[in-house]
Amino acid sequence: MNWSRSKGGPGHDPFKKRFRPGEDLVVWFLLAMASLAIVVSATIIYTLVDGSYDFFTDSRVNIFDFFTGSDWMPNGMDPKFGILPLVQGTILIAGGALLIGGPLGIAAAVYLSEFAHRRVRMVAKPVLEILAGIPSIVYGFFALLVISPFLREYFDADYFNAAAAIIVMAVMVLPIIVSVSDDSMKAVPKHMREASIAMGATKWETATRVVMPAASSGIMASVLLGLARAIGETMVVALAAGSVAKGGWDIFGEHMTMTSYIAQVATGDIPPGLGVQAAFAVGLVLFAMTYMVNSLAARIVLRIKMGKRPARDNMMTRAVNRLKLLSRFKLRASEFMTDVTDRFKRDRKEPRLLFRHMNERVGKVVLATSLVLAVTFLAFLLYSIFTQGYKGLSWEFLTNPLSWKPEKAGIKVVIQGSVYLVLLTMVFTLPVGVGAAVYLNEFAKETWFNVFLRRVIQNLAGVPSIVFGLVGLMVFVRTFHFGLSLLSGSLTLSIMVLPVIIVTSEEALRSVPQTFREAARGLGATKWQTVWHHVLPNAVPGILTGTILSLSRAIGETAPILFIASFYSKVAPRSVLDGFVALPINIFYWTKNPSHEFQDLAATTIIVLLAILLSMNALAIFIRQRAQSRRQW
Amino acid sequence: MFGMVKRPEVSDRGRNGTSDGPASIEMIMLRNVNIHYGSNHAVKGVSMDIKTRKVTAFIGPSGCGKSTLLRAMNRMNDEIDGCKTEGEIVLKGTNVLGKKVDPVALRTKVGMVFQKPNPFPKSIYDNVAYGPKIHGMRKKRSLDERVELSLKRAALWDEVKDRLHESAMGLSGGQQQRLCIARALAVEPDVILMDEPCSALDPIATSKIEDLIFELKKNYTVIIVTHNMQQAARVSDETGFMYLGELIEFGPTKQIFENPKNKLTENYITGRFG
Repeated sequence: MNWSRSKGGPGHDPFKKRFRPGEDLVVWFLLAMASLAIVVSATIIYTLVDGSYDFFTDSRVNIFDFFTGSDWMPNGMDPKFGILPLVQGTILIAGGALLIGGPLGIAAAVYLSEFAHRRVRMVAKPVLEILAGIPSIVYGFFALLVISPFLREYFDADYFNAAAAIIVMAVMVLPIIVSVSDDSMKAVPKHMREASIAMGATKWETATRVVMPAASSGIMASVLLGLARAIGETMVVALAAGSVAKGGWDIFGEHMTMTSYIAQVATGDIPPGLGVQAAFAVGLVLFAMTYMVNSLAARIVLRIKMGKRPARDNMMTRAVNRLKLLSRFKLRASEFMTDVTDRFKRDRKEPRLLFRHMNERVGKVVLATSLVLAVTFLAFLLYSIFTQGYKGLSWEFLTNPLSWKPEKAGIKVVIQGSVYLVLLTMVFTLPVGVGAAVYLNEFAKETWFNVFLRRVIQNLAGVPSIVFGLVGLMVFVRTFHFGLSLLSGSLTLSIMVLPVIIVTSEEALRSVPQTFREAARGLGATKWQTVWHHVLPNAVPGILTGTILSLSRAIGETAPILFIASFYSKVAPRSVLDGFVALPINIFYWTKNPSHEFQDLAATTIIVLLAILLSMNALAIFIRQRAQSRRQW
Repeated sequence: MFGMVKRPEVSDRGRNGTSDGPASIEMIMLRNVNIHYGSNHAVKGVSMDIKTRKVTAFIGPSGCGKSTLLRAMNRMNDEIDGCKTEGEIVLKGTNVLGKKVDPVALRTKVGMVFQKPNPFPKSIYDNVAYGPKIHGMRKKRSLDERVELSLKRAALWDEVKDRLHESAMGLSGGQQQRLCIARALAVEPDVILMDEPCSALDPIATSKIEDLIFELKKNYTVIIVTHNMQQAARVSDETGFMYLGELIEFGPTKQIFENPKNKLTENYITGRFG
């Protein structure tokens, strides 16, 4: 071929590196999108630290008393800020939920992974997904208006009590525990089970002695993730557990948690002043706690993925090693003990087959029961909400504006508020989220910065939703002067769903075969051309599905917009700077309303919210199905 | 049910090949075994007698049903959905395919070694002790003895005796496979099924396993499936050639390799196949 035929004539170097400003610009732009995650994280930390600083430097506050005091009385002339009762309430409720939900979840996961028939899986998996998709405000409603009356009647519990929150939260942590445990047990290679079965082990023995130990770190991570979720949960405790921080361990009494205190501030129950500032200090402690639990879980998950231990370079591993040293002494001691106890043990010569099979049968029943419990709970939840709310369903209810009179109240403006909110959220998050995902999946190399970026995004996903509320209040409402508006609300929701959208979009990009990229690059396309012409078009259905699912989460979120949304408005917002009402917020206030008519209307609103969620999910599934049937690769 | 048959302890058990008497010489009788995977007829009417304390090899092209047949002998196929086995496999007078047979008990008598070494992610000791433990052995001393004996039988003891409590994952592939054999031996089976035990190993590790198989047949009945005809010729006493689910020819290894009666067998042995 005659190279000189290309432009430039003889002497021109055809392979000279070309200057492509457009390409660089795009990459910088994408990088900026991805880096927004870092900005958001930094903002969260700055907001919490800054607010806490103002709080701690106040003359009426003593930082030492804050961490050791056991009185939490934020109001009045002589306020006391000792966080212990709040921490205690958090530990009691989150710990209690985990104590019930942990074993149940692990049992259900073992059953699903090792014993369940394919058809059982096909029922159980969607049920767990539905449980995970139900907004926490619905669980709160259920805890206060269904579980709590029951406890009041049979256990002489207070109107607000921790037990109702514990029970409901145990179900809320189930999905994450089951799915992560199930995944880690499914990841145990099949040949290990075969080896055990081939030696005459029963399935039960194989599950408990081979599969579970092999998956133990994944199971552990699932429990930690559940714990972080329980610690950060706001709406259930805010509705059901009460608003008195009296400490103690009485599960049938009132308790306040860290999240429910912040929620109290958000709903205006705490008068402006020091009590409001205290929310930032509480938020900081809450953030630190969930961060630690989440990153511990992330470390474990990472270790499973890499199949090896990470470098022993930090405090955590050093502490673990010290523990191991300790356990070596314990090993010595236990060896001595086995020598002693060995004398009393007898080898059983008979194979005890009958017993072993019975064991398996009993075990299977126990495991299956936990799954049945979860399904029953879901059925009961839906049933009780439906029976309480269906009477209120009418055309007038959907089209009337809000009212103080229950018989005239309708939720037209509430639905409008939620729809506008979610649409705006989508406008903000979609470009940023997809841009960040494209950068991470297509352009990012394994530099320390990108590794850091990924970790930041991962951590962002674990921040309790009420903390986003605090940040939204400080940044969008106060600093940017957007006020208590639709704009502030949707921006707050946006920073919350951003990590989810990034992760799901990345998944969609990753599912595009590598051969497409190679083919395009082989023809001389630039990286960005490849992405724009081949990768993105093929990833659109996946991105859309993921976005709709994340938005269906956003529409049910209460805590982040608790500070911003109004609880009453006669008209829908006309501009982005108008105030707004939203479905979950409305459910919250109506549930708290002492009048039964409004509580029934809360149930009716939940039905509407669930219907919207259901149709969004159906839409997502429809898009996915259609894309899959049309896919040619 | 033979799972309940009283048997002497391992240490004083006569394993010289004569103590069991003539009745059990033909120990495993297969009668018209048919296996279906859904609509796929994987094994077609196989009948044969497998001799005790001999090495029997199955050879044949991939997909000919030899592994499936092997897995039928300890009912591992039960674990696969949609797999149906008909006919009789008689072991010590019991049809192991019968409804009354407990596969869990059967597998303690008919052990198995798999294609890829599959140690548990536990210590070497715990890998071997796992079987005896689930079958009721609890005394540490008995377990120690059993572990040592099994590892010695698998010719692995000398290599691992100083690191019994280290992870089995740290062993080489060949060592892992011998560990898996030791683990199978620890349950005290009569029959050991080997499903291409050397296909994932290098030649040196392979020759060690083959030596081991030669040793094992003094005490156990070994049935081995292999792709490698040289291996079958080296280690086995009897060889069965399978093709498209049928047992084409079965006889002493020497005869099969030197003087096959069937044309198909001859073609396969001499490489003129397909």
